[in-house]
Amino acid sequence: MSNLSKILGGSTTTDPRKEGLPLFGMWGGSSDANTQMQFRVFDSNFRVTGSPWGAVDGTTTNYRFGILADASHAYNMKDHGTDFHSNLTTEGYSSWTNYIKSLYQIDQYPHCFHYTASRDGFVTWQSYHQFTSSFEYQVGWTKLNQVLPEGVRPRRTFTNRRHTMREFMGNSDCNCDYYTYTAHLIDPSPLNYSTGTGYNEKTKTLVMIHSGDESGNTSKSIHIFKSSVCLNEGTTRIKDFFDNLTSTEYFTDTWTNQNNKDWCVVVGNNGWVGFGLKQSNSKRYGVFDCNVKGTGVDITGASRQFETWMDFAGSTTTSYGATNGHQYYTKFQTTWDGTWGMIYSPYYHYGVGINAFAMSLENPRKFININQTKSGRANPYVAWGRTGFHGGWSDNCDSEVWQTYAFAFDPKDTDHTIDTRVYKGSTSGEGAMPDNNSLVGGDYANRTGVCSLDAMRTGLHGGTQTTNYPMLMGINWWGSYGKGDASYGGK
Amino acid sequence: MAIYYFTNTGEPCTSFEVTGEDLMKKGMAIKATVPDGIESWRLSYDTAAKAVVVYAEGQDEAGALAQRTTDAAAQVVTDKEKLTADLAAGEAE
Repeated sequence: MSNLSKILGGSTTTDPRKEGLPLFGMWGGSSDANTQMQFRVFDSNFRVTGSPWGAVDGTTTNYRFGILADASHAYNMKDHGTDFHSNLTTEGYSSWTNYIKSLYQIDQYPHCFHYTASRDGFVTWQSYHQFTSSFEYQVGWTKLNQVLPEGVRPRRTFTNRRHTMREFMGNSDCNCDYYTYTAHLIDPSPLNYSTGTGYNEKTKTLVMIHSGDESGNTSKSIHIFKSSVCLNEGTTRIKDFFDNLTSTEYFTDTWTNQNNKDWCVVVGNNGWVGFGLKQSNSKRYGVFDCNVKGTGVDITGASRQFETWMDFAGSTTTSYGATNGHQYYTKFQTTWDGTWGMIYSPYYHYGVGINAFAMSLENPRKFININQTKSGRANPYVAWGRTGFHGGWSDNCDSEVWQTYAFAFDPKDTDHTIDTRVYKGSTSGEGAMPDNNSLVGGDYANRTGVCSLDAMRTGLHGGTQTTNYPMLMGINWWGSYGKGDASYGGK
Repeated sequence: MAIYYFTNTGEPCTSFEVTGEDLMKKGMAIKATVPDGIESWRLSYDTAAKAVVVYAEGQDEAGALAQRTTDAAAQVVTDKEKLTADLAAGEAE
């Protein structure tokens, strides 16, 4: 068991960043986004967490009904028009109003491209003005992929580009810390472009890829920094981390990549590091031993790699990544308990379905493929429950309950020599709790196993009476861990 | 023709033999023969009829995408009509 058993008790030593179990928002609106609109925030048990306020049925006004917390200077109530309904099949980055439903909308950070949403149910849409020059849109790919303690999402935003790390306040366009680490690079021929960085807070290990450019150059120099100072500690500056290095190693290699902005770096607790990205319509994932080897030892990729690069083994079709627009960089998220992670991109075009590698964050050599093949009605994926993820099923549900593609792992399942167990749901109670002793889910072979996600019913309606096409949304703060709410451990 | 593996609910899963046969062995996949050159998003398996279904059969990928757009646009019209009818019914109550 994880520390979930402690969730009702908490303690005075609880990390102030630690949140209760994940919440999600569900937006439902009529097809003209006018006469009906509802937004509710639910916990992982699909119970509403706030008072049901501000819902509107049958009005003829075009205004936003008080559900939204748009800034008072928002220029027009129609920023996002009626396009919460859009199908997101072939719509691209020039159709921003469609893109809001994209799987690409959210990564592991508590903010996202198009909106912020509080657990009380207030949503603020980001203005379309200057949207294409925003931090997330242009350089979200430079953010660090972080492996963090249970219940913690990144609360400080660090980026890495060229030889410089910076800190930003959330997704604003203003930085608040800066450090150029060129002097700490020990590769005698360091490459100029940082194109993927991962940080493990438990081991205070920072692993960064440098490439020959920010597009398709295949030359790679990987540096592994260990420090005695935690990068995320409240008062730590980036310079402090580098001033207190206890070990620096590197290795070089040549890696196939369509676009370097797609790289994700997953620094496991056991020192093995997973590197993954979207590659054309498929994906690639490779794992390297980044434990301390000694100065000048194992400086080639071949000397550190676990088996070989793995191409995605699930179903693929035309889909788009950073090479089609830097905002479509490959995403990374972790489960609430920080035991499993997922490197993912859409199955179809700009954000529908999912192609993913899910890996143990204790041991990134343990990984499987995650597959879901919708070709319309996208939704983001977010952490769900203790050790799982879910993405919404946004087909119209005015005559049936809302469904999600939910799945969960075993937090103690870290041995890469045995199959990975995945728990899934069903569209019926008998399917989820059958009259037999069979597993509802599956055991999947390491590396080559493909877990195809199944929809499961939640018991929720779609948020409005008709033609609703619900949208699953991320929530900024899931409530302080250990507080009074028995459903999800926060409030 | 090519071999393809579907989930037990008929959704596309994988074209890779190692992966597909392992899933078959565990009772988690259906093996079927599919036409060459069809993108996986167009494929499904009708578990009742025990037959592969190809969306927009007879068309190439561009034609299937066009059909997809046409179908989506038609759905919007249907939705709009349903919304109007629902609202009218609500007002009449």
